[in-house]
Amino acid sequence: MYGWAGQRLRVDLTTGQITKEPLSYEYRRKWIGGRGFNSDIIYNEVPVTLDPYDPRARVCFGVGPVSGTAAPSTGRVTVTCKSPLTGGFGDSNMGGHWGAELKYAGYDQVVVQGRAKHPVYIWIDDDKVEIRDARHLWGKFPREADQMIKEELGDEDIHIVMIGPAGENMVRFACTFNDVWRAAGRTGTGGVIGSKNLKAIAVRGSGTVKIANPQKMMEVCNRLRQAFKTDPMKMGLYEFGSLCLINVANRDGWFPWRNFQGGAHPLANNMSGETHSQTVLKHREGCFACPICCGRFTHIKEGKWAGEEFGGPEYEHSVPTGPRVGIIEDANDIWHNARLTNDYGMDGIETGGVISTAMEWYEKGFITTKETGGLELEWGNEEVVDKLIPMIAKREGFGDILADGAERAATRLGLPEEARYYTITTRGMTLPGDDPRGLGFGYGLSFAMGTRGGCDHLRSLCCLELSGALYTGLNTKILGDERGAKPVTTANKPYMVYYEENQKATTDCLQVCCFTTHWSYAVLTPDQVEYLNAVTGLDFTEEEFQEIGERIVNLERAYWNRMMSGAREDTVPERFLKEPMPQGVDYQTNVGVVLPLNEMLQKYYKYRDWDPKTGFPSERKLKQLGLDYVARDLAPLRNKYLSEAEKKKRKYYY
Amino acid sequence: MSNGKALVYNQEKCTGCRSCVTGCSLYHDGECGKVVSRIAIVRNERFGESFVVGCDACTDAPCAAVCPTGACHMDVAAGITKIDANKCIGCKECAMACPFGAINMHYKTGKAFKCDLCEGRAEGPVCADWCPSGAITYTSPAVAFKAKRREKLVERLKAAKAGEEG
Repeated sequence: MYGWAGQRLRVDLTTGQITKEPLSYEYRRKWIGGRGFNSDIIYNEVPVTLDPYDPRARVCFGVGPVSGTAAPSTGRVTVTCKSPLTGGFGDSNMGGHWGAELKYAGYDQVVVQGRAKHPVYIWIDDDKVEIRDARHLWGKFPREADQMIKEELGDEDIHIVMIGPAGENMVRFACTFNDVWRAAGRTGTGGVIGSKNLKAIAVRGSGTVKIANPQKMMEVCNRLRQAFKTDPMKMGLYEFGSLCLINVANRDGWFPWRNFQGGAHPLANNMSGETHSQTVLKHREGCFACPICCGRFTHIKEGKWAGEEFGGPEYEHSVPTGPRVGIIEDANDIWHNARLTNDYGMDGIETGGVISTAMEWYEKGFITTKETGGLELEWGNEEVVDKLIPMIAKREGFGDILADGAERAATRLGLPEEARYYTITTRGMTLPGDDPRGLGFGYGLSFAMGTRGGCDHLRSLCCLELSGALYTGLNTKILGDERGAKPVTTANKPYMVYYEENQKATTDCLQVCCFTTHWSYAVLTPDQVEYLNAVTGLDFTEEEFQEIGERIVNLERAYWNRMMSGAREDTVPERFLKEPMPQGVDYQTNVGVVLPLNEMLQKYYKYRDWDPKTGFPSERKLKQLGLDYVARDLAPLRNKYLSEAEKKKRKYYY
Repeated sequence: MSNGKALVYNQEKCTGCRSCVTGCSLYHDGECGKVVSRIAIVRNERFGESFVVGCDACTDAPCAAVCPTGACHMDVAAGITKIDANKCIGCKECAMACPFGAINMHYKTGKAFKCDLCEGRAEGPVCADWCPSGAITYTSPAVAFKAKRREKLVERLKAAKAGEEG
């Protein structure tokens, strides 16, 4: 078989049973790989009413047909589960080398279910798969466990997926790592893995990926790799990492200052990629087969945290426990906080999100030191943040409340309804460090619609707004319309989000990095179809490529619909709709802007062919996408969603 | 004589991305994988370090010296040792003799295989061509050494100056 390995590995930790299931041609053609395979498993095997920490819940690791090949950036893995943070559909995507290694070992997907009696790890050595004792690894930081597992198995070149202490303690936003530092951060996958008493999955793959048309593949890859050599986005990301965004964010006013109270700050350059690379950068890192290499390795040289080392930071990883909680003066504090969330194994975005929300509650008087156990949650108080991060990971004191996420924390603290104005979440998950009033209205729409909850800059990743402003003609080339080529406009944004959500979904199935496809736009849909066909020997078309993405978006959407989440929940935090963007720096471009979400929403539903009243996909659309069984699942729920009883229910899904 | 060029590895720049590995295996074997690549990457993830291991085109090549059948021989025109698969008996002597670990045994044929500078590829070796960080370059070693000398000198002077000021 070309491209795919052709089988799924299923490990039941309750019974210890290990099975290998073949993946049929029809199945592979319908879902392609990674995110598609995973979403199918979650939809069919995890009931919407199941507790995400129930042993019967699944956690899936998927790779795609081009994983491990020479196409640009083919090392990614999608980790999917029913999210313990939102209660809904949850997945997250990580780079590193584990994905390629899994493919070389001969698997397209690993599904883990059940719960082991004591901590274990899974060792995949090509065909040989075993469940091993991990009691001695429990409580260890990823970097420590990495060393112990590699020494135990006697091979330093293997690649390991693992969780940190936060995952073991079932923090609701714990993340999953591979290669020690590459995190699938969002939706709390680490907690689900921890709930199964699983610490790690180590892989050694000594096989290859067979290529149907090697000559063609060489030609396509060669062309794409040459293009990256002179790509301006590649240069920025290689030189400065994703922190190259800091100064851009500050100019365009989407720098998340103090829980999005502001969008720019005069000292932002303290933590910019330009500053980082001149002060604390030790090494540049690359995920598998990447022509960009945006990864960083940081060594703090001065101050309180001198000597600390870690892989990172990224823009999204460092901003939340930095400016979002009011820390900007000393960048070393920000790097230190990023190091902490890494070592403890928590999503930096959610960690910063809950702390900044708590800080705003503290500022507005909703909570006092009585609730926080004496912690003075003032903006920019590094001492408190430094204490709180480990407390969250270990679920100690006030940290235990925050470990359940911002929405649950509000419930547990018994806060009044007004306090929820400051939880910057949609569907229970905190938004990343991008203010849609500046980054773009397309992003705002995408935050409202993301099928994994409040994220979600990575569902549509409509960089056609920002990159579009840089590359004249790019929007016309891809969408046939240039009007959307600037962030602060609603023109063509509904179609842009619709198109890019579909495009990104299939890209996630191929498991190639979106920095190659959506940031730089050096790899476009026709290129992806070309290398997919060269690898698999099949005849995918651009239309089919889009259709597969649309199928996945609709399937994931239907999972939420089955939980009675629909049009009423398609919104963003009120702050973005009501508060005009204040001025943070004099060169800021978006002062006074609010997000006009509603006018985009209605058009978006039309493109999607979703009922605007319920937000449920129409029966016609589902059938057209080959999702008849989904249409049957949703049929009895449409009227229920509109009932008065449902309207009154608070939707936190847990 | 060879064209005077060689693969020069600048270890400090390696990001460990294995773009070279995918290109090498695809070009030579028409499949992608670490086990069929002539170039290898050693990663120390915990410390954020990565290193390239490829043929260094030794002048007195140990791999050729230990070969009992003459399969592994110095190709003077190419400036690198090559392995004649017809003569190779798969004894692994060359793989063990290589001071760098740049020779492997092929999983299909059981015979030794190594870098051949992508013989016949117009753009030169694919690893250097695709390397995104400049860790692998295909260049005249003399030029590379001069550039390194200058780079290191500037670095030293800069550090000394910063020391005086600080």
